[in-house]
Formats: sequence, C-alpha cells, structure tokens
Amino acid sequence: MGNISKNAYGMTLLCPIRQDDAAHSYSNLTRDCLETLPLHDNSPMAKVPNTYLCRLYVLDDVFYQGAPANEEHLKSKYLVFCTNFHGDRDTYLRGMWNAVQEDVKRIWGYCIAFDKVKTAGDFVAYAKQCQVTNSLFFNGSDGGPLDEQLKALYLRQEFTRFAFDNFGKSAVELQQAFREFVAIVQPDNLQTPTWAPGMTQETQQLQYSFHTAARKEEYA
Amino acid sequence: MSNIAGKAYAMNVVTPIKWYRAWINRLIFWAGGLPFFSSHLKGLTTLSLIHYARWALVSPRQFPRLDESQPKETIKYTYMFFFSNFNGSWNQYVDSFHMAIPAGLDLFWHKNIKYPNSIPLQPFHSYINHNQIWTNHYYNAYPLATSNDIKAAIAVKKKLKKFIELNNFDSPELFQKEYNKLLNDVQEHLNLMEPTPIVSLSAEAVEKRRTADHHRFRNRAASSS
Amino acid sequence: MTVSLELHDIQGNVVKGYGRQHFSFARYILFAIHDERAGRKFIRNILPLITTATPWKTCDNDSGGVPKPEATTNIAFTYHGLKCLGLPESSLHSFPTDFSDGMRARRDILGDHGKSAPENWDPVWNHPDKKVAILVSINGQSTVAIENRYKEIQKILEGVKSGMEQLCGHRGESGAEDLPYQEASAIFNEQGDPTPKEHFGYTDGISNPFFKGTGKNPNLVIGSGKPSRDNPEGWAPIEPGEFLLGYRDESQETPKAPTPPLLAKNGTFMVYRKLHQNVNSFDTYLSNQSTKHPEFNEEEIAAKFAGRWRNGAPITRFPTEEEADNFVKSVKETKKALDNAKDAIELEEAELLYSVLLSQYSAFNYDEDLDGSRCPVGAHIRRCNPRGSLEYGTKAYATPGALTNRRRLLRRGLPYGDSSDRSRDDGNHGIIFMTLGASISRQFEFVQQQWINYGNDFKAANEKDPLLGNHGVDKLGRGNGKMLFQKNKGSDESPYFCSHIPRFVDMHGGEYFFLPSITALHFIGRGTVDGT
Repeated sequence: MGNISKNAYGMTLLCPIRQDDAAHSYSNLTRDCLETLPLHDNSPMAKVPNTYLCRLYVLDDVFYQGAPANEEHLKSKYLVFCTNFHGDRDTYLRGMWNAVQEDVKRIWGYCIAFDKVKTAGDFVAYAKQCQVTNSLFFNGSDGGPLDEQLKALYLRQEFTRFAFDNFGKSAVELQQAFREFVAIVQPDNLQTPTWAPGMTQETQQLQYSFHTAARKEEYA
Repeated sequence: MSNIAGKAYAMNVVTPIKWYRAWINRLIFWAGGLPFFSSHLKGLTTLSLIHYARWALVSPRQFPRLDESQPKETIKYTYMFFFSNFNGSWNQYVDSFHMAIPAGLDLFWHKNIKYPNSIPLQPFHSYINHNQIWTNHYYNAYPLATSNDIKAAIAVKKKLKKFIELNNFDSPELFQKEYNKLLNDVQEHLNLMEPTPIVSLSAEAVEKRRTADHHRFRNRAASSS
Repeated sequence: MTVSLELHDIQGNVVKGYGRQHFSFARYILFAIHDERAGRKFIRNILPLITTATPWKTCDNDSGGVPKPEATTNIAFTYHGLKCLGLPESSLHSFPTDFSDGMRARRDILGDHGKSAPENWDPVWNHPDKKVAILVSINGQSTVAIENRYKEIQKILEGVKSGMEQLCGHRGESGAEDLPYQEASAIFNEQGDPTPKEHFGYTDGISNPFFKGTGKNPNLVIGSGKPSRDNPEGWAPIEPGEFLLGYRDESQETPKAPTPPLLAKNGTFMVYRKLHQNVNSFDTYLSNQSTKHPEFNEEEIAAKFAGRWRNGAPITRFPTEEEADNFVKSVKETKKALDNAKDAIELEEAELLYSVLLSQYSAFNYDEDLDGSRCPVGAHIRRCNPRGSLEYGTKAYATPGALTNRRRLLRRGLPYGDSSDRSRDDGNHGIIFMTLGASISRQFEFVQQQWINYGNDFKAANEKDPLLGNHGVDKLGRGNGKMLFQKNKGSDESPYFCSHIPRFVDMHGGEYFFLPSITALHFIGRGTVDGT
C-alpha cells in the first residue's frame, strides 16, 4: 500500500507554482507548456526509464461543493505530477533528470524554488519536498521493469501471429518455422526487436513474418 | 486537454473531507491489506480495467510549502486526490465500477463532503463530473495495450521462454506434442493488439486535428530545410 | 416489488416480439416531413392504427385483452423528425447526444467503414435534401394484411398532400435501387411454413431479455433475465427501465430521459440497421476452413462462431452435434405430442415437458465453461450477452451480471430477401436488425463497439466477433479476422485457429429513432409539447 506495490512505485508530487505578477500568469504558462508537449512516443516522458504511465496537470483550485459545505480556496496553484514506474524513487528521478533535463526545466520552470535545482541530486531533494504520500496505491499490472513488459508485449503479439500462421503444419515444418521464429524475435534480447515506449502503431518491421524467408510476397 | 493516451484514460478527482473524518479514511486505506477489505480489491482485480490507481489524502498542512514567499494555505478541509489509469471510456469505467463494486466505492469515498453514494448512477455521475480535473499531459508507455494485455503478455513470455529453454526435442513429433501443450497453456492470451477503438467523437476529432497539425509541421520543417 | 407497465400506452413492439407470434411479414416505410402541420396531421390520423402492448386474446387465453390483429403498425421518429414536428428547443436539447447525432455521425463508434460506410448505404438514407423523419413499421400475419394496412397508410399520406413524402430508395431484388419501402419476412421452408432461420442458416431470435411487468410466463426468466445469487433458480427479471423510459432501471433510478416527462414515459429508443449478409463468403469460408483443418466440420465451425448450433441448441450445453440434434428432435416430438394430446393428463404432461425443453435454449450460464472449450470465449452469443461470465468465476462483483445487465439488447426485426442463390454475395439478402432500449450509447453502441468490434472485456485484445465483426483485409486482399476455439484447459490439445475471416455482414443503412408512447404521440400530433 502507500507508495509501493509489487515493485511499482506511485509518486505524487504537488509542486507549488509562483504567484501571478502583473505581467504573467505562471500557472497559465505552465499549462501552456504541458498542453504543447509532444505526445506518445514523442513525449519527453517516453525517454524516462521505466515510466509506465504518468500525467501532469495544473490544479488551479479546489471545488466548492455548494451549501452547506464551506467555501474555501487555495492560495497557490500546483503543478500535479503523478507517475507510475518500476523501481525506487531516487533512481527514477535521477534517470528522469539525466534523460530529459531540458524538458524538466521547462515544465517546472514556473514552480517555486525550482530555480535552485541544478543537479540530479537537487531534483531528487526538490521532489521529496513536493511529494505527498498515497493512502492507497493499487497496482493492476505486474510492476516489472518496463523493457521486460515491452518485450513481453512484442513476444505475445508475434507469437500469436506465429500460432495462427502455422496452424496445421507438419511436425517437421513446424519445428523449422519455430526455429526461424525464435531467431527473429530473440526472446532474451530486451533491446531489439521490441516495442518502443509510447508506440502507437506497429511498423511492418516489427512483424516477425516480415523477416521470414517464405512470406515476402505479403510485403511486396 | 489530454485525458486519453491510447487505451488508457487518466481520471483525476479531488474532493474535500472533514479533517477528523479523513483519519477514518486513512484507516480504511491502511486496512486495505486486511481480509475484510480484500473483497473490494478482488473486485478491482477482477474488473481488470485498471493499470494503476491511487488515493492520496492531503491535509491543509501537507500541501507543500517550499518558500517563505509562498502564502500559507488557509483551507480547513482535507482533500482526497484520486488518480486512475483505466482502459475504456469514462462512462464505461464509472458504469462498470458502480455496478460491480458499489460498496467498495462507498468505502473509498466514505464521508467525503456531499458524496452521494455510488448507487444510483446519475448523482454519482454528477459528483465525479463536478470534481474531475482534466489532465494537461498524459503519457502511456503502451498505448496499444490494456492492463489485460500486459498481464497476458507477461504470462506468454514466461511460458514461451521456458518452452524454448527446454527445446532439445529429439524429434519433430515430440516438438509438436510439446508445442501443442504450450499453445493450450497460453490459449487465452493469443489475441492481437491494435489501436484503441475511439473513445468518443470529440476525442477522435482532437486526435485527427493533432495528427494533421503534426504532419503540417513536419512538412513545413522538411520544406524549409 | 411488482411492477405494472402501462401496456395501453406503450407501443406494441416494445413488449411483443411480433415475429414469434405468427407475424411473418413486415414492411418498413420511411418519410420526410416538409411541413410541420402536415406532419402533425399525419400523426393524428395514423394514431388509431398504432398497435399498443395491450395483451391479445388468444385461443388458450380469453381472460382479457383485445383481439389479435391481422397487421400491426408502429411509428418512430428521428431527431430531425422531432425537429420538423416543432418540438421546442428545450425538449430537443434534453434528448441524449447519441440520438441527436444520429447513426451516420456515429459511424466511427459503430465501425461502419468501407462497404458499410454511409455513402454506400441504400439511396433512401442519402437524399441530399430529404432527411428521414419518420419510420412506420407494419408487421402482418399475411402479405394481404400488410398490403391492406399499407393502403390505409397511403390514404392518410394523401390527406397531407405535399407536406410529407414517402422516401424511395430502398434496394431490393435484381438490382432495384428505388423501392418505396423495405420488405422483410421470415424465411419459408419447402413446405411453405415460416422458419426462425436467418440467411446463414442459424435459428435466430432465441434469447431476448426478460424484464418485469410484461406478463410473460415467469419460467422464462431462467436464462433470459439477469444472473442472480439471490434467487434459487439463479436468475431474476431485469428492471423495466432498461427498456422503457419512466421506470426503475438496473442502477436503481429512473433512466435519464427527455423532458417533459409525459413526452418520455412509456417511450424508448430504437436502432434500425439493414444488415446485408455475404452468404457466399460465409459458405465458402466454412467449406475451406473445414477442408484445410478437418478437425471440425462446417457445422461445428458454424456452431463455434455463433455459440449455438444452427438448429439453435446452445453449444455450451450441447457440445456435440449429436446431442444438439437429439435435443431439437425431442423438442419437435414434444410439440407434436402437445398438439395431438388426447386428454387433459397427456396435455399437462406434454406442456410441462415442452416448457422444460424450451427453457434449455436459454437456460445456461458459462460457469461450467470458463475456459471456452465448449463455447469459445469469442463466440457471437457469448460476446453479445456474456451473462455472468465477466466475473470470471470469482463472485467478486455485487451481482454476477454487473457488467452485463445494463448492456442488454431487446431485439426485434426480421430477415429480408432471398438467398437461394448461394454463389454470390451481392444479392438481396440480410436482416433488418432492430433493437430497443433506454440508452442507445450504453446498450447498442457499447455492445457494437466494445463487444463486437473489440475484445478487451473478454481479455481478447482487439479480436472481433467472427460473424458480425467489421474485419478488414490484409495486403493480399484476404479477410484479416481471427478466432481461436479454446480446448480443455490443461489438456495436451492445441486450440483450433481460424485465420483470414472476411467480413460476413455489411451495413446497408439505418438510423436511431425515438419510439414514443401513445400519450406522447397525442402531444406531438397536437403540437402541445411544452416543457415549461
């Protein structure tokens, strides 16, 4: 429970944004920055190791529930960062800083005290100050390393294709085809071939049959 | 606005609760691992629509204050932040949860100000709608996969690798026999993943505009270089 | 809690499946409205012909009710139609978006692409300046009855002159493109008797949801109601608000409905879809697949696709063709015994046996078949009504049908055309699919999008319904549908794979309609709908 479940970590940060001044709304600038980030495999978060799913939003205020509830408002606006990843928090934050430092600086650029963040260590210390503890963290997945998960998705997809393609083959043909399949998909190689983080479409090159000797005509 | 990334939907709900009640909720969540509670989590697991979800109770003094220049928060309520990463549309999710685990939802939102209970549906819909915050950037490492797909993939990978490791079959016939066993063992996982069905017409329209803008941007970049 | 529905106020097709009650013929007529007053006059004049849900006197039940008519008539409106009839904006805006969008606008949700795309629908749906406003459906016990009723309606239409127009453009036999109505009828056997078959040879329309207040035989709740842990038989009737506005629904409230309440109550929404069946593709696929992979024969593959043998027996209950045949044979024999009973004792015995046998068509769950080794997880009927199977044997939900009870479809409609020439796909044959429910998006659209054209709820990724799925084509032009028939889990047997499934069904046109109560029809006809 809390922040960790089955090797997955759920980190929640509430990062206070600077108060507006006469010329700028820093919360609007932050939101604009978030809204114009590239998406999916082009998102900076795709480069951050072991990120499963994450989101950023600007919390302008809390909601009034109507009478008889009390009306109250926040004094600051917050950049909320909610991320789900594999491994421990500090390694993750360092990995994030090292991978996409420039994007981090842009995204958090209007947050209070972020101007003091200069190193990966500073970023970890900053994040700890902004972190709120989860009361309950539910992991509906497995919490393994992301590259293992992506390779698993790739293998399941290609093995499904293989099973359909080779149904009814003779034992000899089947064994041959399977050897060729294993050589193409390289089950132990986490680097390649595999799915890319944030990938929205499969390329032809990812399909195992693209690389078999017999099935070239399909891809003519 | 970007609550959708492939097959995942990001829901954010922030709701107030009286501070002295929040301690009961903390206790409820703390008890999450205990048997009387696990039936609700079993419902969540069986629904199998969630990658990750979390609840964070934040009291007024727990709102981070990093600097003297930042005004102190003067709110009185404690706020419950809920974050979910689920597969399917908003309606599908809310409808499924309210039918499948109404008691669990009522426990999670126990005594939140003006929480109407999860049954009937329309007041519950209104409550969530009123308190939902739209995500500004949502990233999903596997837009083509649901939580079910990931679990299935991990099972297939494990079994396939084990099969390959044992693969010193003396004859093709023996290979085939073992291969068939493997197929039987993973039969419930042999389905292809493709892009998500559209979540709504408006989400689809946004997606189309974004793709068009992206192409235009790329073409312009290509022609100017 | 006993619920009584206001049967005199509800249109008959909501509660009665006409096809099951010897109405073997139907005619569907579409109209445009050019003038509001003419449209309202048409409604007022057709009102006396509208069939309600009032029970019919039958030979074995003369306790009450009205005589069974030779022909029935029902009327429904598109959003555009309600607008043409002058409904106030406040009422129009209170209708749900699915309905006001209309089916064409929602094609990307429904997967109506390629040959099923709106531009390829029957021309009646594509008049540039004449949009469909009204659907009138006639069901008849004979073609003569249909024709007579049709003539009465023509007369009413003449009475409003140019203010309304019957739209032509239904496709029909021998390439006809401009027919003034859509004909439908049961498929008749060689003896000239109507059959419950559709063009792929399946017995259709077996299972329809059983909901409270219809006055139907309570034994039918088994398998047709909702799965329940509270009832000893394991089934309970569904709340009527799933199918009718103004009544309690499965979320324990009255469903969201347009205003004012008198406009909505006892009404419901209706989906109309003309589904063309590619009979040649279907026959050819079964024959090729069973030749190439003879572990299953054509009948068995057809049964695994549907979840029912073509004779109607559910495969999860009757896993072999022989069992299925014996079952259907005993149903027929018992029916004969019932018809020929010589005395009261024989009659009673036969009746009891017959009702027990009949219930077996629907009285099943998938609890004993979780692995799908009898009825595949992706089979058509298991997708469209998963019963309690989405609980995956865990009892983890408040009720076993938690994910199913709000997605039930009340199906109406009949086959159309003739498929005796099986050598081609492009003849005139298919089914007029109609489904009724309180929410188009929650019920029909959800089933169509999530359960027919997608598979995540069944843990089957993007796999589609083999029969109705909108399968695409691969680079070599072959169908790209896939399906796997599971085997006994833990046995050494390989599952059975079907690749290259082509699209067996194309959509040829349709729309979303509102099916008002008799009360609402009066208000609409008089032009007195007012939400203030």
